[in-house]
Amino acid sequence: MKTTLIGALLASTIAAGAAYAQDKTDVTIVLSEELELIDPCMSSQSNIGRVLLGNISETLTVYEPATATLKPLLAESWEETQPGTWRFKLRQGVKFSDGTDFKAQDVIHSLERTISDKMTCEVGGKYFGGFKINATKVDDNTVDITTDPAQPILPLLMSSLTIVPEETPLEMVQQPIGTGPYAMTERNIGTNIVLTQRADYWGDKPKVTKATYVFRDDSAVRAAMVEVGEADIAPVISELDATNPDTDFSYPNSETTYLRVDHATAPLNDRRVREAMNLAIDRDAFIGTLVGKDSAKATAVVPPTTLGYNKDLTPYPFDLERAKALLAEAKADGVPVDQEILIVGRLGMFPNISEILEAMSQMLNDAGFNTKLEMKEVADYNTYYNRPFAEGRGPQLVAAQHDNAKGDPVFSMYFKYGTEGLQSGLVYPELDAKISKATEASGDDRAALWSDVMKDIHENIIGDVEMFHMVGFSRVNPRLDFTPTISTNSELRLSEIGFK
Amino acid sequence: MKKFIGKRAIASAISLVGLVILVFFLSRLTGDPTDLYLPIDATQEMRDKFRELHGLNDPLIVQFGRYVWDLLHFDFGESIRQARPAMDVVLEGFRWTLTLAVVTMTLVTVAAIVIGSLAAFKVGGVFDRITSFFSLIGASAPDFWIAIVGIVIFAVQLRWLPTSGTGTIWHWILPISVLFIRPFGLILQVVRGSMITALSSAYVKTAKAKGVPPRPIIFVHGLRNAMLPVITVIGDQAAGILNGAVVVETIFGFPGIGKLMIDAILQRDFAVILAAIMVSAVAIFIMNLLIDLAYAMLDPRIRY
Repeated sequence: MKTTLIGALLASTIAAGAAYAQDKTDVTIVLSEELELIDPCMSSQSNIGRVLLGNISETLTVYEPATATLKPLLAESWEETQPGTWRFKLRQGVKFSDGTDFKAQDVIHSLERTISDKMTCEVGGKYFGGFKINATKVDDNTVDITTDPAQPILPLLMSSLTIVPEETPLEMVQQPIGTGPYAMTERNIGTNIVLTQRADYWGDKPKVTKATYVFRDDSAVRAAMVEVGEADIAPVISELDATNPDTDFSYPNSETTYLRVDHATAPLNDRRVREAMNLAIDRDAFIGTLVGKDSAKATAVVPPTTLGYNKDLTPYPFDLERAKALLAEAKADGVPVDQEILIVGRLGMFPNISEILEAMSQMLNDAGFNTKLEMKEVADYNTYYNRPFAEGRGPQLVAAQHDNAKGDPVFSMYFKYGTEGLQSGLVYPELDAKISKATEASGDDRAALWSDVMKDIHENIIGDVEMFHMVGFSRVNPRLDFTPTISTNSELRLSEIGFK
Repeated sequence: MKKFIGKRAIASAISLVGLVILVFFLSRLTGDPTDLYLPIDATQEMRDKFRELHGLNDPLIVQFGRYVWDLLHFDFGESIRQARPAMDVVLEGFRWTLTLAVVTMTLVTVAAIVIGSLAAFKVGGVFDRITSFFSLIGASAPDFWIAIVGIVIFAVQLRWLPTSGTGTIWHWILPISVLFIRPFGLILQVVRGSMITALSSAYVKTAKAKGVPPRPIIFVHGLRNAMLPVITVIGDQAAGILNGAVVVETIFGFPGIGKLMIDAILQRDFAVILAAIMVSAVAIFIMNLLIDLAYAMLDPRIRY
């Protein structure tokens, strides 16, 4: 009996050891949540993107935020053959992980599938809504993609379209197939996902041979797993757990926070009131306390790496006296500045949101405003955030966080500031015209026009109460040669990981 | 006995039908899940498409009729979140929860009965005082705190155990220990109280007077009569774990039914909510039946 017991204990000890042991070129990545879906057309969701993008699934083009350049991937080149039509020359000799060849028909099917009304693909909803798009085959290695109205940034949009084989059904798949350097070799729902390097990958061989993804909700547990060597990368941990300067990184995560102002209601329809709000917020007081010390004060809703980001704009200073004076001036002109203003926040939208909004509400009240904060669950919050807004509503400030990692303001400006924009609180036909003009422009003109739009919103109209370009925190095992970047917010390419 | 089981099954089935109707309508009162699944920038067209695809545009009564029809064909619906049959999703989670519940409650029951009985034998003695002290702490300590402290001490500092996960037998030690503490404290107190009453009864005094040694007095004469209230509390605690040990599942990365249910409620994944409730209800029905049978075994006066 005793021998059996000792044997069992030994066996389980060896098993426990095996759980930690892995080849030098294997990595374990701990994500913050289980992947509910693993379809390539959902890869714009952060954790799905971290597993799929650049690992299993590839796109025609790839955007590099660090250099703000668009590079070829499955497309070797592209050109605009006529207004609204782009011709993509496809890379030859590429195979999917199921052994089939990559060809033009796969691109056409991937696009049709992504925008199909038979399924709800997030990539389709996020990047391919609001215009008509269709793809036609020129030959096996060439495809024409046409949009109406014309999309000058179509090659950039193609960096979001994950390519799947022509045979992929019009329903969410459980076994993603792609042209990337890895294939999914194991999926134990609730436990882990394993990617193994493909021998027949068309490109350079990455250093990581196998990646195991595990899922833990709790940030402290994710951080502990990297600390004890159970995991190599925790892409997202809370600032409170980022305590070890040797392993923890902060990185701009392409998210920008702001209070969306409802310009249609008094007193928020008065420019002086909006300026007073911006002057009443002591943004420096938040940095290093309630938001990460590497966060930056925002002057636009897009991160500084975005095309046309206006570097000449300066954040509003904290000037309580000027804010009070502006408010008094507006009051003297009959603006109802005493009216209660509702600040609406969404629970869990970003770290410390409740505390940040409570402090902002108090700062505004110190300047003479009468604000009240209400924190909402997602669905309730969306009724304030998205159009159509309630009739007869009072003045509202809606706390929001916006992610634009794609490098072009077009993914933000219309939605946030166009008169018909889904989340816009602004109604300015002149600004609409400027957004349209910038959307249709290309090259240097495009950058200059977006720059002008940002100046208009920040200085002339005073569109929002701008807050911060946020940062995220990661923990990385010292054995890896890997530094998180702005991309880590939405993808984690194993090919970028090396070993020391 | 068969008649009793049949009656209980019919009564439970009626309760289950009522529960399903209630949960179906109440969960839908919480609102439309469309905004939770689509990106914030999704167009109105996309939203309309999503509602149509998931039958959310139909009147509630039509949705209910369709659900009942599918249910009669053993189709429990599809998880919107996972795009898989809801019952598959739930049974995968339940497998983990059931294992966790069975192992934990077996250990708790054995430990609480043995220690509680011994403590009751000498009321006010050193052993009794020590066990009472620690069981009260155990019954009142918050799970999440014990879990995090357990990870910090045993995984991060001492490196004896893995932080979390499910790979080996070692992965189960911390979660089971955390789950063990509270029901152990509670059941131990009930065993002790019940045993004090049993051991002070006339038949035990008679046994002592006849020279029966302490061990048979405690575990044969006393325990059998003290077990009825203990079984009730064991059932109650086991039901709690069967419904999901949310904190433990969340912190230790156990893919059980508790976290699944909370996520499904937050995400309005209606089919999963209903499937999970049905599975939990059936499990609790079976457990209650077993408890009733245990009553009959322990007390010959109870006959069904």
